[in-house]
Amino acid sequence: MSPNLLLLLLILMFLSLSITSSLSSPSPADSPPYLWPLPAEFSFGNETLSVDPSVALIVAGNGGGSPIVRAAFERYMGMIFKHASGRASLLARIRFLRMVEYDITSLKIVVHSGSDELHLGVDESYTLMVSKKNEQSIVGAVTIEANTVYGALRGLETFSQLCAFDYLTKSVQIYKAPWYIQDKPRFQYRGLLIDTSRHYLPIDVIKQIIESMSFAKLNVLHWHIVDEQSFPLETPTYPNLWKGAYSRWERYTVEDASEIVRFAKMRGINVMPEVDVPGHAESWGTGYPDLWPSLSCREPLDVTKNFTFDVISGILADMRKIFPFELFHLGGDEVNTDCWKNTTHVKEWLQGRNFTTKDAYKYFVLRAQQIAISKNWTPVNWEETFSSFGKYLDPRTVVHNWLVSDICQKAVAKGFRCIFSNQGYWYLDHLDVPWDEVYNTEPLHGINETSHQKLVIGGEVCMWGETADTSVVLQTIWPRAAAAAERMWSTREAVSKGNITLTALPRLRYFRCLLNNRGVPAAPVDNFYARRPPSGPGSCYAQ
Amino acid sequence: MIFITHKHCTKPPIQRLCLTCIYKERDFYDSLLFFATFFFPPLIFIFTIFRFTKREKMRGRGAKIAGVLPFFTLFMAGAISAFEDIERLRIWPLPAEVSHGGRRMYLSGDFKLVTEGSKYEDTTEILKEGFDRMLDVVRLSHVVSGGRNSSRSGGSALLQGLHVIISSSTDELEYGADESYKLVVPSPEKPSYAHLETKSVYGALHGLQTLSQLCHFNVKKKIIEILMTPWNITDQPRFSYRGLLIDTSRHYLPLPVIKNVIDSMTYAKLNVLHWHIVDTQSFPLEIPSYPKLWNGAYSSSQRYTFDDAAEIVKYAERRGIHVLAEIDVPGHALSWGKGYPSLWPSKNCQEPLDVSSNFTFKVIDGILSDFSKIFKFKFVHLGGDEVNTTCWSATPRIAQWLKKHQMSEEEAYQYFVLRAQKIALSHGYEIINWEETFNNFGSKLNPKTVVHNWLGTGVVERVTASGLRCIVSNQDKWYLDHIDAPWQGFYDNEPLQAIKDKKQQSLVLGGEVCMWGEHIDASDIEQTIWPRAAAAAERLWTPYAKLATNPDKVTTRLAHFRCLLNQRGVAAAPLVGGGRVVPLEPGSCLAQ
Repeated sequence: MSPNLLLLLLILMFLSLSITSSLSSPSPADSPPYLWPLPAEFSFGNETLSVDPSVALIVAGNGGGSPIVRAAFERYMGMIFKHASGRASLLARIRFLRMVEYDITSLKIVVHSGSDELHLGVDESYTLMVSKKNEQSIVGAVTIEANTVYGALRGLETFSQLCAFDYLTKSVQIYKAPWYIQDKPRFQYRGLLIDTSRHYLPIDVIKQIIESMSFAKLNVLHWHIVDEQSFPLETPTYPNLWKGAYSRWERYTVEDASEIVRFAKMRGINVMPEVDVPGHAESWGTGYPDLWPSLSCREPLDVTKNFTFDVISGILADMRKIFPFELFHLGGDEVNTDCWKNTTHVKEWLQGRNFTTKDAYKYFVLRAQQIAISKNWTPVNWEETFSSFGKYLDPRTVVHNWLVSDICQKAVAKGFRCIFSNQGYWYLDHLDVPWDEVYNTEPLHGINETSHQKLVIGGEVCMWGETADTSVVLQTIWPRAAAAAERMWSTREAVSKGNITLTALPRLRYFRCLLNNRGVPAAPVDNFYARRPPSGPGSCYAQ
Repeated sequence: MIFITHKHCTKPPIQRLCLTCIYKERDFYDSLLFFATFFFPPLIFIFTIFRFTKREKMRGRGAKIAGVLPFFTLFMAGAISAFEDIERLRIWPLPAEVSHGGRRMYLSGDFKLVTEGSKYEDTTEILKEGFDRMLDVVRLSHVVSGGRNSSRSGGSALLQGLHVIISSSTDELEYGADESYKLVVPSPEKPSYAHLETKSVYGALHGLQTLSQLCHFNVKKKIIEILMTPWNITDQPRFSYRGLLIDTSRHYLPLPVIKNVIDSMTYAKLNVLHWHIVDTQSFPLEIPSYPKLWNGAYSSSQRYTFDDAAEIVKYAERRGIHVLAEIDVPGHALSWGKGYPSLWPSKNCQEPLDVSSNFTFKVIDGILSDFSKIFKFKFVHLGGDEVNTTCWSATPRIAQWLKKHQMSEEEAYQYFVLRAQKIALSHGYEIINWEETFNNFGSKLNPKTVVHNWLGTGVVERVTASGLRCIVSNQDKWYLDHIDAPWQGFYDNEPLQAIKDKKQQSLVLGGEVCMWGEHIDASDIEQTIWPRAAAAAERLWTPYAKLATNPDKVTTRLAHFRCLLNQRGVAAAPLVGGGRVVPLEPGSCLAQ
C-alpha cells in the first residue's frame, strides 16, 4: 500500500468518524422501526429509497376511488413533503426530475370494500409494502392494501412515519427498505375524551385534536359536551338549552357539530357524544329552570317530571341527526341525590312510589337508557350505574370504567361490554402520571377468559377540562395519550415484554418530535409531570 | 401515589373577571343601543373615540343625570354603555381613530374582493391571499350555514364585499413605509360595499385584520354580522418596529410552528420577526458557503435548509412581516465550532469566537453573504451581548495576539464587533447590536447602528442622546421567558418613557418582546407568547393618548382578543393568574 493511499484512507476514516459523531441523533436510519404505535407484524431490509415529491396515487378496488382516500393522500403528502425543497417548489421539482431518478414514484392504494360506513369494529387492518424496482416490478412502488378505506388511512399513517426528510440529499427517504407490514388493531375502541363544558374548545381546536388522534391511530372521540358548568350545544327541539353556554361566543351550532363529525370521519374517527344524566346537568336549567329540583337545589335533574325525560328525548332526537355512531354515552356517574331528598315535591314523589333515592337514580338511568335505545342507540354508562344496579341495566349497555380498577373484570363476567379508563392511569388531567405508567396499564389485567376478554372493547384516555382549555389541552393530551394508544393498538406481547426504556421510550420521543413537526404541541416525554416545559435547552429527541 | 380525586367540581365557578355576566347581557345592551340609535341617531353617531377617552369624567356625570331625570334613563343606558364603548369595541390593538353607529350588517355568503380604481395590481396576489385569509379566520369559529338567500338575511343590510383601493403600485415590503389604512363599513342605507383605502398593500393587510375583528358569528341567523355600523376607522401604527424574537438555538422550532407564530403576529399587527437563529447550543441553519456549520444542529433532522429559511421569509413578507436574522457574535457562538473547530479559541475553551483568526471573519462574511440572498430586511442583528472574554486571555495563541496588537480583552471585543459591523455593511445591511456594545464603546459604533436595549433602563435615553437609533426590549417587562411577568407589565412598558425631546423620540424605532427558548419548545411557545405579546403590541401600535393609563381597564378587551386567538387555533394562555398560567378552574374564556 502506498503511503498516499494510506493517507487517503486515514482521511476518509477520520471524515466518516467525524460525520457519524456530529450526526449522532435518532434517525429512522439507525435502529428501526421508529413507528408508533408498533405494527402487529413487520419486516425490513437494508436499502435506502428516495421518494418522488410528485409521487402518483394509483387506486384500485371497490373503495379505492373514495374521496376519503384521495383527501387523506393529499393530507399526508403535505406532511411528508413539508420542506421547501419538497413538493411545494415547482422549480426544484423540475430541477430534480432532470437530475434525480426516484426509487418510489407511485403509491398504490387498494381498498376492497366500497362502503365507507364507519362503525364500531370497522376493519382497520392493512398491509403496507415498500420496495424498490426489481425484476418483478418495473417501477418502485408503495402498496397499501386494506379491506376498508379506514384500513387504508391507518396504512397511510404508517407510510408517513417511514418517510423522513434527509437534509443532505434534500429529499424524502425511506430507510431500511424493503418494508413489509401487516397490521391491525388489538382493540376496536381506542378513545380520547374531551370536555367542552368545563372549558369551551373552539372548533379549530377540536379539529386539531382529531387530526392528532389519527397520527396515533386512535379512533373514538368521546365528546363530553355538557356538564354542570355549561351547555354549549344547540338543540333545536329545546332552543333555550344553550342559554347555559358560558357566553354567546362559546357555543356549537348543529352545523358545527356535524362538521366535527364529518371532519372526524374523514380521518376514520367516530364521535361518541355524551349527555351525562342525571348528575352532571345543572347547566340545563339555565334555559329551563323546571329541570332543577328547585332554584336553590339544582342537581341532579328533577326525576319527578315527565318534562325532564321529554327534554332528554328531544336532545337525543336532535343528536341522532348529527351523530351516526352507534354508541351514545348517558353518563350516570357521581349522582348526589341530596337535592331529591331535600326538595319537598321530589320527596313526596319518592314517598308516593315508595322509592329510596337510590331507586330513583336507577329509575332515571334506566328510563334514559330506554330513550336512547328507542333512538337506535347503544347506551354507554359510567361504572357507578353498574356497581349500583348492574343487573337491571339493559344487557346491551357498555360499562365505562373510571373509578375502580377491577370493574371491567366484574362487568364482563356479567356479560356486559366494557371500556377501560382507570383514572389512576388514564385520566390525562392527572398531571402526576408519567408516560410509563400510562403505557404499562393493561385493560385486560386480571381478565383471563377469552370470551370475557372479547367483551372489553377497548379503552379511553380522558382529558377532563377543569384546568385544560385551548391554551394547554394539546400538550396535556400528548404525548401520554400516545402511550395508551400503543397499548390499545399493538399486540399485547409487543407492549408487555422487555425493558420499555429501550423498546418504547426512544420511539415515543421520536413520535413526540413527529407530532411537534406536524405542528402539534406535544409536551416533553421525560418530564415527570405532564405538560411541563422542557427542563432546559436541548434536542427534542432527548427530552 | 394517585388519589381518587374529583372528576368534577361541584362549586359554581368563581367569576374572577366577571366578564361572563357582561357577555350574557350583551344581547340586552345591543338591543338597547339599537333602540337608542333608532330614536337618537345623531347622538349615537357622534360617539367618537375622541369623546370616549374622557369616559371617566363623563360616566360620573351621566350617572348623576340619570339619577335626577328618570325620563332619560333609556337614553342614558345607551349612552353609558357607549362610554364603555372604547373597550366594548373589541378591537386589538385599538385603532388611532374610530367612530361607529348602532346598526347591524351581514356578510354576504360570497363576500367579494373588488379593487377597481386601485393602482396596485396584485400580480403576486398578496392582497387576494390576505383577503382569503381574512375570510377564513372569520369563518373559522362556526359553520356559516345561513344567509345564502339574501332577502332572508335582511336585504339592504347585506354587505356584498370589500372595495380596496391602494394608491401605491409596489409590493416591496419596505421598512418604515406607510402602514396606514382607512376602513369604512357602511350602515344599511348606504351602498353595499365596505371600503378600504391605503397607500400600500401592507396597510391593506392591517385593515383586513381590523375588519376581521369587527365580524362576529350570529348564532341565530348563522351568518357573519358586523354590529354597530357604520364604522369609520382611520389607523396607523405609532412605531415602525414592532417585534417578536424567537430563538431556534435553545430549542429547534419546526417550520409549521414558526409559520403559526407568524400568522398569530399578524392578528396583533406586529411586523418584525426577530429570528435568533444560532446560539451556544445549536446551529440549525444551512449556510451554503460553510456547509459544515449546521453540523452544530442538535440532530440531523433539527435543521432548516437554506430553502426553508427563504420560505419562512417569503411567508412572513407576504403577511407584511420583516424577518430580522441574528447571528450573535462573538459571545453566543459555541455551536459554530462543531463544524469548524478552529473557530473555538481551543477545544476546552470554546467561546467567544477566536478573535485572532482571519478565518473567523471569513466565516462571518460567508454567513452574511448567504444571508443577503434570502434575508431582505434592511437590518441584520449581530448580537454582541454577554461576551465573556476570559477564553481569549486563557488561550496562549490569542493572548499572544492580543499582546502583539496591544489590545486588552475589552478592546478585542470592540475590535470584533466593529469588524463584524463592517462586514455587514459591505453586504448592504444596517446593523442592530445588543446594548452592551453601546455601553462599552458606544462612540465607536457605526452611525448606522441600531442599539437593542435589553438590560436596563436609561439606555434608551443615552443611545438617542448620542444620535443612534434604538429598539426597546427591557427584560424586566418585555422578556416573555420571564413567565412570572404579568401582561399588565407588558402593556405598561412605555418605550418613550422619560424621553421628552422630539428628535430623540424619533430615534426610538419601536420595541420587541423576546421569546428566549431555554424552556420553550414547540409544546409551549404559543401560550408563552400570547396573550402577553398582544399587550405590548397595543403599546407599540396605538397612539399614546388612547392607551389606558391603568392596564386593568383594558382587561375585558384583551380577554376578548385572547379568546379570538383561541378561536383561531392559537393556544393563548389565560389572563388571570399573572404571567404564563393555566386555567385555575372551569369557566368562560372571556372570564379567565
